[in-house]
Amino acid sequence: MDSATLIQTLLNSVVTSSVYALVAVGLAMAFGVMKMANFAHGEFFMVGAYTVYVLYQLGGFNFWVAVALAIPIVALLGVATERIIFRQTGANILAGFMATVALGFVLQVAVGRIWGVGLMKRIDTPYMGAADIGDAHVGWQRLLVIPCAIAMLIALRYFLYNAKLGKALRACAQDPEAAALQGINIRNMTMLAMALAGASAGLAGALMAPIAAITPYMGHGVILIAFIVVVVGGMASIGGAVIAAIILGFIHTFVATLTDSLIATMVGVGFMALTLVVRPQGLLGREKS
Amino acid sequence: MALLEIRNLSKNFGGLAAVSEFDLDVEEGEIRGIIGPNGAGKTTLFNVISGTYRPSGGTIIFEGRSIAGKRPSAIAARGAVRTFQRTALFEEFDTLGNVSIARHLHAKETIFGAIIGTARKMERANEKRAEEIIEFIGLGEVKHELAINLSHGHQRALNVAMALAAEPRLLMLDEPVAGMNPSETATMTDIIRSLRKDWGITVILVEHDMRTVMDVCEKITVINFGQKLAEGTPDEIVSNNDVIEAYLGSDDILGEDF
Amino acid sequence: MKNPNGAASTPAGGSALPTPSAAASNPDWRRKYGGWIAVIAILAALCVIPFYMKFYHIELSIIYFMSVILAVSYRLITTTGDWSFAHIILQGIGAYATALLAKHVGIPFIVMVPLAGLVTAAVGAIVMFPMLRTKGFAFFIASFAFGEFIRMVWMKVNNPFGGTGGIVNIPSPELFGLKLTSSVNYYFACMAFMVAAVFIMWRLDRSRIGNAWKAIHTDDMLAECMGVNVARYRTLAFVVGSFFAGIAGALLAYRMGSIDPHNFEITQMVYLVIWVVIGGASTFWGPLIGVTILTVAFEWSRPLLEWRPLMFGSLLIMFLIFLPGGLESLLPALRRPPGEHYARFRRWLTTFRPG
Repeated sequence: MDSATLIQTLLNSVVTSSVYALVAVGLAMAFGVMKMANFAHGEFFMVGAYTVYVLYQLGGFNFWVAVALAIPIVALLGVATERIIFRQTGANILAGFMATVALGFVLQVAVGRIWGVGLMKRIDTPYMGAADIGDAHVGWQRLLVIPCAIAMLIALRYFLYNAKLGKALRACAQDPEAAALQGINIRNMTMLAMALAGASAGLAGALMAPIAAITPYMGHGVILIAFIVVVVGGMASIGGAVIAAIILGFIHTFVATLTDSLIATMVGVGFMALTLVVRPQGLLGREKS
Repeated sequence: MALLEIRNLSKNFGGLAAVSEFDLDVEEGEIRGIIGPNGAGKTTLFNVISGTYRPSGGTIIFEGRSIAGKRPSAIAARGAVRTFQRTALFEEFDTLGNVSIARHLHAKETIFGAIIGTARKMERANEKRAEEIIEFIGLGEVKHELAINLSHGHQRALNVAMALAAEPRLLMLDEPVAGMNPSETATMTDIIRSLRKDWGITVILVEHDMRTVMDVCEKITVINFGQKLAEGTPDEIVSNNDVIEAYLGSDDILGEDF
Repeated sequence: MKNPNGAASTPAGGSALPTPSAAASNPDWRRKYGGWIAVIAILAALCVIPFYMKFYHIELSIIYFMSVILAVSYRLITTTGDWSFAHIILQGIGAYATALLAKHVGIPFIVMVPLAGLVTAAVGAIVMFPMLRTKGFAFFIASFAFGEFIRMVWMKVNNPFGGTGGIVNIPSPELFGLKLTSSVNYYFACMAFMVAAVFIMWRLDRSRIGNAWKAIHTDDMLAECMGVNVARYRTLAFVVGSFFAGIAGALLAYRMGSIDPHNFEITQMVYLVIWVVIGGASTFWGPLIGVTILTVAFEWSRPLLEWRPLMFGSLLIMFLIFLPGGLESLLPALRRPPGEHYARFRRWLTTFRPG
């Protein structure tokens, strides 16, 4: 691997890690609060991408307006999922999971029926050109994902640790019963968690829209990756998810560059299986006594 | 040689020692009580002996063979069976069904036997034994009731019946009279006594209810902070200063039930 | 489908634990033999109808028989509380084993089908060994990971699995010189395997082994302390389920003549889950009801091909929310004591604890 490829791969790794982190953080948060295992998270990502496609490409909105609108739209979808599915399935994790698998089907068909299944949608890149770093070329549109992801993660962290609502959410994730005794409304918190999960997935989808292939089935690849990251990070841990996203983003990009993307996915899936069997609490998690 | 010999047993969770350097000898035919304040390590001790937890150190010898670190099912197969502090039942089966399942160890069935149906005769003998046990425990009237519909007293009694169905030589009862009313408690006490007298079973009893322990056990071990605090007859234990102090130091008052 | 429940309470299930209705000796012959009569009637009907069916419907019935084997064997694994997400992959292992061995070694049909089951059972045992450390949702995700890994191996490895193109030209099945390429002949071959598989799994479900599985589901710690070796019995359930999934895979491979990794995608697995959940997993007959009704519904929805995932997805959501016990929970509602409903409901609610 020469230096240009190395730099290029490193930058791509950072981009991949950023997207992984954005997607996985939402999934981990939903699982942390009330054990909501949302398989439709990949479809949330897809809806985010379609929002940009519809508003920016078809509707002629400014790219950033489209991205900004994708966040509340998908957040709303998250809230609806909580109300319709997770509130009913309650403590039964698997039932919630199955129901969201089905929800994924529903969203795929709905989107496919409205905007067509056939060829993937092309979006004109708002930021053409590439940055030249050393001998490497990386598209501006790709690099743009990094600051956006970092900004979102910092905002999320600030919210969780400093805002009153965020603290309540964390308390709820740690011990729902104790949180309820403190007067925290668990239902509102689960709704908030799903809204934040939707928001981050929506943002990730919106940012990736000009780069990724937009089809109703684009969520498939995303959800597999997201589950790998979340499992390796320790299922319910947001910090763990971010770190796992960075590690797996690098592994995936390097393996994919050196071999091919199928092998890279196999490595990821193998990593996940190994984590579940050897360290079910995740890479960073501590064993419960 | 004692039926159960425990030497230097310890169990740590992370840095916390739930049981440490614990010795215990239980002779054949004994009814041994184990008491201690809340969180003293009684249930952890049970969990380690029965194989639910793996010991961090020490030896557990049952009938001359080590059982430390074995699976609970293997330990049950050796003849040391436990009950749970919580009401643990197979809720969707009836009383007879619960006891029948608990006879698992004595109802060898192969997968081909199950398919062809050769197990019928054995299963009939099994059922007869299960009914004997149910009658002995006094659950005959609710033989066909679903376990989940039984009264609390009956459920606790069913727990003991299930443990008996495994034909133990050592029976470890974890708070068998918890939540029972006085008449249910009296019945259970009688059952525990006749377990030894009629069935020849050695019993270890972890119990919160002092009256029961003092009533049925001739030897009591007191455990506090995971260590043995005292051991002796009920009279010795009641007058032991360490024990009184330990109980006064915690929220439990020894005299509560006296 | 109602009467086989009657069969369940006859003394014919000799090793079954007595249920209240069985123990209270019931002289009513209809109760005693009604189930058997119904089963024989259904079998007789199945033997006659292919001669009056259109080609297309015979083909459909063949697929239906495979689906029955899959659904019943999947439900068998779930009786221990282990909801797997790799059952279709196990079917794929049977199919790949068949394709490779029948093609390259030339093993005949009648030997190959059980052999495919054995190969799948062996793979199931190997995969289950690490997965024993997980339970509940973690088990589910782990089985998903292992299954996807196996599927990606098929996609990646060209020799011998043929990569994404799969394996073509699987020899056509023959039974003692009788060509099974004809639909009617293959119909009967599949039916024979289906009946045998269902019968065996029914016997297991009602046996002491089946009760041990259910006991593990309710309270694995209690079962272990009562002497049930939980690890061994969970493995046994998974291996038996794998065996029959492998048989379904062999039947599929022979019918299609070619297989590729896309036959065993997650979508297929989701449909399997839909059959079992909508039918109801708490009794033996639930998945049979589910697979029967949904096969019919699936055919009816053929004109709405593109809307199918949406329709069946919505159906699954509705069932999970409003009727978690499945259709099966509606059927014997009048016959059961009310407490049992509560027990089932409780069990369903508390089934899946985090690992």
